[in-house]
Amino acid sequence: MANENKGGAAAAVGGFFRAIGGFFSDFGTAVVKGDAFTRLSLVWMGAGYAKRKQYIKALLMTLLEAGIILFTVFFAMQYVPKFGSLGTVEPEQVFNMQTMKNEWNDYDNSFQILLFSLFSFVVWFAAFVVWVKNVIHAYHLQKKEEEGGHINTFREDLHSLIEEKFHITLLTLPVLGVVIFTMIPILLLIFVAFTNYDQNHMPPTSLFTWTGWTNFISLFGGGGLTSTFGYAFVRILGWTLVWAFFATFTTYIGGILLSLLLNSRKTRLPKLWRTLFIITIAVPQFVSLLLVRNFFSNGGIVNTICANIGLTGFLRDIGLVSTSYIPFLSAPGWAHVMIILINIWIGVPYQMLIATGVLMNLPSDQLESARVDGASPFQVFKSITMPYLLFVTGPALVTDFVKNINNFNVIYLLTQDVYVTTNQAMANSQAKEVDLLVTWLFRLTQEYYNYKMASAIGIIVFIICAVFTLIAFNRMIKGDREGTYQ
Amino acid sequence: MKMSKKVAASVLAAAMALSMTGAASAEETISLTLWGAEEDQALLAELVEGFKEAYPDQSFDIQIGVESESTAKDTVLTDIEAAADVYAFASDQIYDLVKAGALAKLDDYGEALQGVAGKTLDDVKAANDAGSVEAASVDGSLYAFPMAGDNGFFLYYDSSVLSEEDVASWDSLLAAAEAAGKQVGMTLASGWYNASFFYGAGFTTGLNEDGTTAIDWNGTSADGYTGVQVVQSMLNIAGNPAFMAVADGDISNQLASGALCAVVSGTWDAVTAQEVYGDGYAATKLPTYTLGEEQVQQGSVAGYKFVGVNAYADNFGWAVMLADYLTNEASQQARFDQREIGPTNLTVVESDSVKANTAIAALAEQSPYGVVQLVGGKYWDPAATMGELIAQGKLSVDDEAGIQEALDTLVEGVTAPIE
Repeated sequence: MANENKGGAAAAVGGFFRAIGGFFSDFGTAVVKGDAFTRLSLVWMGAGYAKRKQYIKALLMTLLEAGIILFTVFFAMQYVPKFGSLGTVEPEQVFNMQTMKNEWNDYDNSFQILLFSLFSFVVWFAAFVVWVKNVIHAYHLQKKEEEGGHINTFREDLHSLIEEKFHITLLTLPVLGVVIFTMIPILLLIFVAFTNYDQNHMPPTSLFTWTGWTNFISLFGGGGLTSTFGYAFVRILGWTLVWAFFATFTTYIGGILLSLLLNSRKTRLPKLWRTLFIITIAVPQFVSLLLVRNFFSNGGIVNTICANIGLTGFLRDIGLVSTSYIPFLSAPGWAHVMIILINIWIGVPYQMLIATGVLMNLPSDQLESARVDGASPFQVFKSITMPYLLFVTGPALVTDFVKNINNFNVIYLLTQDVYVTTNQAMANSQAKEVDLLVTWLFRLTQEYYNYKMASAIGIIVFIICAVFTLIAFNRMIKGDREGTYQ
Repeated sequence: MKMSKKVAASVLAAAMALSMTGAASAEETISLTLWGAEEDQALLAELVEGFKEAYPDQSFDIQIGVESESTAKDTVLTDIEAAADVYAFASDQIYDLVKAGALAKLDDYGEALQGVAGKTLDDVKAANDAGSVEAASVDGSLYAFPMAGDNGFFLYYDSSVLSEEDVASWDSLLAAAEAAGKQVGMTLASGWYNASFFYGAGFTTGLNEDGTTAIDWNGTSADGYTGVQVVQSMLNIAGNPAFMAVADGDISNQLASGALCAVVSGTWDAVTAQEVYGDGYAATKLPTYTLGEEQVQQGSVAGYKFVGVNAYADNFGWAVMLADYLTNEASQQARFDQREIGPTNLTVVESDSVKANTAIAALAEQSPYGVVQLVGGKYWDPAATMGELIAQGKLSVDDEAGIQEALDTLVEGVTAPIE
């Protein structure tokens, strides 16, 4: 099975490169075998169309070409030449008494250079693809003309966009959105991880520049940073994975058990109970979590109650607690367990909803035959309900795990301002035992302006999530699992 | 390329200056943006009207936005060029703001101030409390206008439970509280509060040229005490059953719960303290504490609030005028009258109404022992952890080597280079 997967992956990668190869060989053919106008398309993108009397298309391509040239000259050239150094001119100003204004020199802003260069690269890449495609297309037109085939008018071309080429029409906007809102920010994040963008190098006043792999080297304990950064990273990574595992599986199992309970014929008023549980979803997390945080804080109501009934004293007597309060959310161990427990309360209703939906679609013939065969409820659960649930909700389980790796809300809202670490090595790296990578990353950027390390950590988180998702999805969804279940 | 650009810029500047001479700037509407705390909005609107009246020849369009003084730095540094032209911020943010170039060095603009407002920067410095001017200066240059002087802490107490003698020292304070079955609260898990013991014993913190923090708490102070001794004193206080180590930011809640007969806090808790203690409401300087064999006055952090001018402000000159106006004597008086915010302007400080304010008077009493806290960003987490170790009693009074090790680790973390 694993081999099969590998084969599939290899085929996919091979196919990708074959497609690229085909793209360029088509281009080569077009250039070599093309006539004068096809070759003129290399310089004037409208040439091929103009020759085949597609004047509107020729005009549009010419305008596009002009637009790209103007973009390059007037926009990209301001930034891209400085991409190698990320700027050299620091800001300086002179105050003008007459206007009561500062007059600035033409200073460089490293961040703008980085962002707009990146944007230019993306535009140029797209322009290059269009340019190559354009030449190939011009050659196709040439061949069509030589063969005496029909050449589309502009109206026919437009019409094809809502007929056979409808997918292009549909996908244009989403692809643009993905490029602008997802790809460029991710590329930017990756680039920042290789710079020294931090508190001492903050645009516009200071410049930052490329530093190679230093951030990654120091992240893994290669020195340069505080000696404890690597120490903190490993511990936080460990807790992140432990948390993601428990948070995912406790809510998953809890949700299934709860929905089974509510679906059971013996449960009275199931709708009432279901509504009650869903109320926890309806209340925004930052409200409910902050409330819970206050309940369980060192001087909170739960601690007061525990002290009054003597629980705190009892725990102190047996040595579980050394303080005058129970450190529900303020000591390692206690806080870890509490966070997972509180997360069950927050997360179970969601899983209950999903499980309820799936349970309603349980194949009744199988249940029926099991009952006829005299299977006990537990056997039914073990052999029918659970496999079916796992089969249907498996992919959701994977996404839940990844989501929990990045579960900012629960951790941040429950521990911010409450949890003070007593581990000095962690504190020296601005970390806490209860931090997830993502909350640590947030604090590093938000409170310490350490953008470069945050980017490096972000890339690591991304790699962890990507690898996990790929493996899990490959195992769960690929192959003949459906057949196995049937 | 660098050179030619500079030349071009200066030629351009000269040309602009030439063309502007004679052109009355009054014809142009000056747009300014101003950020202040949510609670100050009504006051700010009033003061801005006053500012417009003060310069009737000039038309203004001034937009007021909400930004708390405590979070101003975070918002400003997200995008300095997009931040407000004039903004209020807490004094501990000044170094980060200056380093990022978000505050203009006011020394360079004394001329403008003199030309328009008719006063010099020295007038501004002389009008305000010396400590506030020191805190608003970096390397001897003024970077912001002092606005409020009440961002420090002192002791609130219930005079129906504790006498004036009781609150003089931690020993008598804790003994009296225990006798009354009450507790004394203070935040230890914060580098802002717990530094007060170290400052009191003559220890210092400081900022180096490169933005790293200098700290000497693991050694011997100018007064001849060791850091270990200070931690031992703190452990003795924290270990007293009548002492409650309150989590950072939780003072108001604990105060309101009624378990505390005295608490270390600042003017922001004045209303709560007044409600809880009723007729017994009183405030004074911090107590002394036993260090070795002697009684040492607990220090404190002298915190201020400033109004700064964004170095990248479009209408920079007028932004300076507005910042100056918002912090002048009349504005500080108005701020005290409407919001009971402690002034830095010496004339207002000396006024009877200010002197009659219990909390602000206590703050003034503590101010001789107040220290302008110079620390970088790397200070806070290690210092908070040190406080938490003491609060939880994770260090033992007798284990001097352990305390020394903890202090060494603290110093290592605080002095770490800024990566």
